[in-house]
Amino acid sequence: MPASVAAELTAVFNGTTAPESNGTIAKRAHYAPPWADVSIIGIAGSSGSGKSTLSHAIVNKLNLPWVVILSIDSFYKSLDEEASRKAFRNEYDFDAPDAIDFDVLVERLRDLKAGKRAEIPVYSFEKHARTDRTTSIYSPHVLIVEGIFALYDPRVLELMDMKIFCEADADTCLSRRILRDQRDRGRDIEGIIKQWFAYVKPNFEKFVDPQRKVADIIVPRGVENQVAMSMVVQFIKQKLLEKSTHHRAALTRLEIGAQSEPISEKVTVMNQTSQMQGMNTIIHNIDTSSEDFIFYFDRLSALLVEQALNNIPFIPAEIATSQGRTYAGLRPKGEVSAVTVLRGGAALEAGLHRCITDCKTGRMLVQSNIRTGEPELHYLVLPPDIDKHEAVLLLDAQMSSGGSALMAVQVLVDHGVKADRIVLVTYSAGRMGLHRLTKVFPEITVVVGQVVQDIEERWVEKRYFRC
Amino acid sequence: MSDVKPTLTKCVGPVYRAESQKPTAVVSTDVEFDTVTILPQTPQLIALLSIIRNKDTQRGDFIFYSNRIIRLLVEEGLNHLPTVEHTVTTPVGRPYDGLSFQGKICGVSIMRAGEAMEQGLRECCRSVRIGKILIQRDEESARPKLFYDKLPEDIADRWVLLLDPMLATGGSAIMAVDVLKSRGVPEDRILFLNVLASPQGIQNFATKFPKLRLVTAFVDQGLDEKNYIIPGLGDFGDRYYTM
Repeated sequence: MPASVAAELTAVFNGTTAPESNGTIAKRAHYAPPWADVSIIGIAGSSGSGKSTLSHAIVNKLNLPWVVILSIDSFYKSLDEEASRKAFRNEYDFDAPDAIDFDVLVERLRDLKAGKRAEIPVYSFEKHARTDRTTSIYSPHVLIVEGIFALYDPRVLELMDMKIFCEADADTCLSRRILRDQRDRGRDIEGIIKQWFAYVKPNFEKFVDPQRKVADIIVPRGVENQVAMSMVVQFIKQKLLEKSTHHRAALTRLEIGAQSEPISEKVTVMNQTSQMQGMNTIIHNIDTSSEDFIFYFDRLSALLVEQALNNIPFIPAEIATSQGRTYAGLRPKGEVSAVTVLRGGAALEAGLHRCITDCKTGRMLVQSNIRTGEPELHYLVLPPDIDKHEAVLLLDAQMSSGGSALMAVQVLVDHGVKADRIVLVTYSAGRMGLHRLTKVFPEITVVVGQVVQDIEERWVEKRYFRC
Repeated sequence: MSDVKPTLTKCVGPVYRAESQKPTAVVSTDVEFDTVTILPQTPQLIALLSIIRNKDTQRGDFIFYSNRIIRLLVEEGLNHLPTVEHTVTTPVGRPYDGLSFQGKICGVSIMRAGEAMEQGLRECCRSVRIGKILIQRDEESARPKLFYDKLPEDIADRWVLLLDPMLATGGSAIMAVDVLKSRGVPEDRILFLNVLASPQGIQNFATKFPKLRLVTAFVDQGLDEKNYIIPGLGDFGDRYYTM
């Protein structure tokens, strides 16, 4: 790993230090999500050599949400007026390395390598300029960087785990290019051919072809080359397996001390009043009807959310009462939003809406892999202004090992939410999970209905959603 | 002559936060009766009360936020009901040593403001029976007078959650309890749920019924010359139903 990436990684985790009540500084544990240190695979080759077809074929073959393709075409420089006029006359050299903004590419790749979110520019081929939109890439485990100069910049090469050069016959390349540019990029045939001989071909010989020398494998005939395809797929599968193993091992390391150390003071366990115990008994009873289960779970989750809301920031507010007097009260300092960790977290939403009817709610789907038990992030949509909210309630029905909660908190932190603004709300939690989570993120607050000793399967969501 | 207690200002917030990091607010006046439970003065509760006290709060918000406070009152009140130990089997097949609720309950609201608390009660106790009592001030004597009541027939066998959001002098609440006692409900099986009380109202009520439990969200400073709670929140019934 390059030094700069390591430095950024540390920065993510050392945002603030948490003072402990006894005056010592808590030793912060380190958690690396499986998307930190993403494996990057570069695919270069002549225009029309089948790079993007090969990339898509690899992604299809793996059929996993965390393999993402990044096209270098997104990093074309925006053209100034003069260059733009040349471009419209097909006299601008798009096929030279100078047309690519490698600085931005390197910056984005380093962000992704550090596990951060990266905003990828959207380039308009019709206007020859970057649009003001961006698409964001977050949490891929494998990133395929595809483009004629994918293996050109030494800073990019340094970040890559596998380098592929696609080879194809020049006639094939030209005919593919004519078809594609006409169809997808709104160009006319004359212009395309003019460009080919003026720029594409000379540039290929000068800049593109020499990239073979740095490639790990050279793939002739693109997707038709089954042997090469399965080699690449095999390599990626191996990388994914290594990441999963590392991730699980890292989670296991966080277990040390779980039984001996007391639970963090920022964890609030609901007072076990007789009503709370009575409701817990109904919820735990396998013979409880679904109607009762849902009723009592909603009732209890509303209390969990009420308790969670005591941890959000308030400011004094001078109130004029209807009686013509004043009252020195409080009001929330700012917006409070929620993020549900699906599917379990959705069971707490009825309770959430009893307290904040119009609460903005982000959603993420974290599933545990059936074979390995490793939590995996499948889906993520957050309110766009989440980094400005004063508090974010993170909802999950149950937390046992804490793996998915760690991942969920990491996701929020990566999206600009300060850890001390996160309140995790969960119906039940294992000691181990609480320990892991508060070791890595000592700033977060946790509100939990009850603490259980063992790792439990996720039965609450099964009962609540009845399947 | 009005009798107003000094305000009690405190830093409110979770225990793990340093005093300097907690905002200050006026919290409930203390009272000296074991039978009176005041809800924990959390920042969230103070903020909810701030909303319903505010004269500029619209009716929709008044209903929503007062309902949140009422649910907390009901949840706290229900903790005074008896339970027995009860072991069940969980969906993952292990035994769970818990509790089960004992005894039948019913609600009784003092019309009209008390009826505003019925929704919160039903949100915690589905299909609970609810009786009603109408007490109004008699124009001639200026004393509270019973105009109407409709109560469950078996009320003497039930625990009664008596609902009235405002406890000013305690006149109507005391009369309502007298009605319940005349129907055979023992005093110690009545729970009075109240949003906002005056110290005088608490004093009168708790002295008269030393075995009756009262749960309130907040005890205010006192009463003005018209016997309205101050700083108060106005007329709860008007703000909930008609304003």
